Amino acid sequence: MVVGDIATGTDVVVIGGGPAGYTAAIRAAQFDLDVTLAETNALGGTCLNHGCIPSKALVTGANTAHEAATAEELGIHADPSVDLGEMVAWKDDVVDQLTGGVEKLCKANGVNLLEGRAEFADENTVRVIHDGEGQGSESVEFQDAIIATGSRPIEIPGFAFDGDRILSSRHALALESIPESLLVVGAGYIGMELSTVFAKLGTDVTVVEMLDDVLPTYESDVSSVVKERAQQLGIDFQFGESAQDWEEMDGGITVHTETEEGEIDEYGAEKVLVAVGRTPITDTLNLDAIDLDTDDRGFIPTDDRTRTTLDHVYAVGDVAGDPMLAHKGMKEGEVAAEVIAGEPAALDYQAIPAAVFTDPEIGTVGLTETEAKEEGFEPVVGQMPMRASGRALTLEETDGFVRVVADEPSGFLLGAQVVAPEASELIGELGLAIEMGATLEDVGATIHTHPTLSEAVMEAAENATGKAIHTLNR
Amino acid sequence: MTHEFELPDVGEGVAEGEIVNWLVETGDPVEEDQPVVEVETDKAVVEVPSPVDGTVAERRAKAGEIVPVGDVIIVFDTDGDGKATETETETEAESEAEAEPASTTDVEAEATDRVFAAPSARRLARERGVDISAVEGSDPSGRITAEDVRAHAEETRAEASDGVESAVQPADESEGDTFTPASEGADRDRTLAVPATRKLADEEGVDIDAVPTDSEHDGEPFVTAEQIEAYTERQQAAQAADTRALQTGEREERVPYKGIRRTIGQQMERSKFTAPHVTHHDEVDVTELVETRDDLKQVAKERGVSLTYMPFVMKAVVAALKDHPYLNASLDESTEEIVLKNYYNVGIAVATDAGLMVPVIDDVNRKGLLQLSSEMNELVTKAREREIAREEMQGGTFTITNFGAVGGEYATPIINHPESAILGLGEIKEKPRVIDGEIVPRKVMTLSLSIDHRIIDGAVAGSFTNTVKQYLNNPALLLL
Ligand SMILES: Cc1cc2nc3c(=O)[nH]c(=O)nc-3n(C[C@H](O)[C@H](O)[C@H](O)COP(=O)(O)OP(=O)(O)OC[C@H]3O[C@@H](n4cnc5c(N)ncnc54)[C@H](O)[C@@H]3O)c2cc1C
Repeated sequence: MVVGDIATGTDVVVIGGGPAGYTAAIRAAQFDLDVTLAETNALGGTCLNHGCIPSKALVTGANTAHEAATAEELGIHADPSVDLGEMVAWKDDVVDQLTGGVEKLCKANGVNLLEGRAEFADENTVRVIHDGEGQGSESVEFQDAIIATGSRPIEIPGFAFDGDRILSSRHALALESIPESLLVVGAGYIGMELSTVFAKLGTDVTVVEMLDDVLPTYESDVSSVVKERAQQLGIDFQFGESAQDWEEMDGGITVHTETEEGEIDEYGAEKVLVAVGRTPITDTLNLDAIDLDTDDRGFIPTDDRTRTTLDHVYAVGDVAGDPMLAHKGMKEGEVAAEVIAGEPAALDYQAIPAAVFTDPEIGTVGLTETEAKEEGFEPVVGQMPMRASGRALTLEETDGFVRVVADEPSGFLLGAQVVAPEASELIGELGLAIEMGATLEDVGATIHTHPTLSEAVMEAAENATGKAIHTLNR
Repeated sequence: MTHEFELPDVGEGVAEGEIVNWLVETGDPVEEDQPVVEVETDKAVVEVPSPVDGTVAERRAKAGEIVPVGDVIIVFDTDGDGKATETETETEAESEAEAEPASTTDVEAEATDRVFAAPSARRLARERGVDISAVEGSDPSGRITAEDVRAHAEETRAEASDGVESAVQPADESEGDTFTPASEGADRDRTLAVPATRKLADEEGVDIDAVPTDSEHDGEPFVTAEQIEAYTERQQAAQAADTRALQTGEREERVPYKGIRRTIGQQMERSKFTAPHVTHHDEVDVTELVETRDDLKQVAKERGVSLTYMPFVMKAVVAALKDHPYLNASLDESTEEIVLKNYYNVGIAVATDAGLMVPVIDDVNRKGLLQLSSEMNELVTKAREREIAREEMQGGTFTITNFGAVGGEYATPIINHPESAILGLGEIKEKPRVIDGEIVPRKVMTLSLSIDHRIIDGAVAGSFTNTVKQYLNNPALLLL
């Protein structure tokens, strides 16, 4: 404790006000625990301020512009001009509404909010260091702590983020004007989402990726739909190359890349976006003070109750490991709070869905066919191409498919891969089906509204059992 | 695979039991039907047998703890190779191993590991302490519903209570509580507890890792507020004892108020503070009764029955109850009705080592002296040996207590709630009595009748006692 420091007591201290942290705090408060939430930047964390929400706002903006510009076939002729500054201001409004909402909810539930960086002083004390010179700090004594410090973008050597030339996703989401050209390092989901956004806004986008395909964690028939569309949007892919360094060159920059064989290439661009992944934040916490170790990837290991190796310290969200997704963090936050409150909570979900907001979108949940085999199931798959969907045709969006993976003997749904417009929404139904232990028959026998994209889910399930009407059965 | 074993219903209507003594340790192999724990209910001590073959993975309650029926008290490992995972290192390794799958994408689990069940069913399983992988799905495809989880929980409970022998051996009370306060402190590195408990531990200045517990949550030691309190108390008691021993030696001893003692206490309290008691005292000349009994005693003995005065008193009481139905009644407070009973089940209060018990002899009006005698003797013996079943102590309509057995003339019996009256018998003593102007020695018994003054007035009590006296004074009337 610092001299003059006033220690306040709390049942639960939550460190980090992102989706994992604020969810944990609110839920814990709902159990009548005294909860203190410390956030160093802005409530809502990465998700609301620099991640999910801003990126989706810009996806919407870019889609609207792009659709307007490419609707000639529908008899619509428009030549939209986009003011990125205005779009970003609108996005900021959306963000403000949401972060304001989180703050209100925290307060309404009786969560004590503290602004500042929390670090451990000892096993039962955190010190919250307020921003700014001379702002001081205060100590909070806690019974239980929930670490929810999230993650930050990984920097690569030679490309320190400066917000001007070299951008992180966070910078890219706050640009005031549309860059003429953008070099994106990394073809993971963040790189692909933002590449798509800028390509649709008229930027000349080049993606440099060390591996040999986009979205390497997805099956190739999934990623290839997205890659082809990206190419149609004019995105240029350079696979098998890694970015080495850059130099300023008349008004723009030149980036040097290298292949595994040592071949050097160079690309000119106005700005570079580095999106090679995210790394958990634990260096802000002074974990040494409580003797808590991280694993070799920097995550804090936890069990299925979100407990760390210390019995009164929990970790949730990005800092607790993959998948680094907001909805996973929120569920973990709830579980942590409930476990602390003595409830029989656990992370025993069967599947965590994931969505990529590219064009078309990707939504996945549960096992792929290969994974199902590896797990010892006898998988059967059923697929419905979007081109056979009436609604997809009326949307002028016929690339992609809905695929379901099930266990053949029992019929239980095990997973699904959707590449389609609104795949991020469609995947919700399939996640529910998996959690409920629904069978192909259950999904196929459920009446879906016509004409909608969701009919494709029903059709895919029927296709797996050889009962599809609108596709040829396998 | 683990089998979570809940405290079974060890007797009709028993809601909770006290863990008197564990007969197995964590890690012990057990066979089906092997007794694993002694449980004391409010009436008896029973040995609870294991429902399965396996190994003791975890004891979830400690000796002295009062556990509601249906709570998991012990977890068995039924795999055969099951090892208790209690040691520190193993626990840690386990939690790390658990954490790993979350941070890697490779999937290693076996297909058979997957359980198909809705989140609500999963939660229910956790709430009921049911291992969901042990539940059979009733759905055509094998999906586990909430109903299946419930049924499984019930089944395990039923299985468990099927195996219970209704009443077994008397327990040595002191055994259940073998605390060695000074040295009992546990010394763990990791203890789970809810924040409120930690707070309490802090307030009491107790190191939570030192508080003994058999409870676990997911393989980790788990401490409750009650355990902290109990520990604190014991620590304080131990300290106090130490100080006393140093000074003057034992001046006081503290005996836990629990089990049968507590049940008796609660019953007495309830009766005394529900029914306004009035006690009517009188005495009766039983010289003739003594003679009659002496005559009949030999006959009874030949038939293998030891005849006491009690059957005569029971007969006299039943005869008087027929004339005074309000003494064979109860007040139903919920409906505001007086329930008059046309059957005569007489309870006999028996002092046992554990305290007062009241076996009931049914339908006294329909039984002869010898039958009453032998039934009563049997029940009394059972009660003394604490082998009596709950049902044998229920359904009474009137109670007789023989405080005279230990000497004494008058007392104030407390009514065996919800009955409306109780008759206390004093010792039969030879006393001088005036008969036809002469002082002669007579056998005299004193009577103390307590009544529930809400429904019985003093005059009725007196009149009832007179009838009882009449019969006892002239036992030949009992033959009519
Ligand atoms: C561009 C982008 C797009 C994304 N899109 C999606 C998407 O579509 N869907 C999805 O599910 N996920 C998406 N994500 C990921 C998502 O944002 C994260 O998974 C999510 O925010 C993690 O939540 P969290 O609460 O664990 O951490 P965060 O949201 O990172 O919050 C952690 C908070 O802790 C604070 N903090 C750190 N250290 C301290 C300290 N010592 N004291 C006090 N406060 C501290 C930080 O300031 C931060 O506010 C996206 C991320 C990015 C970058």
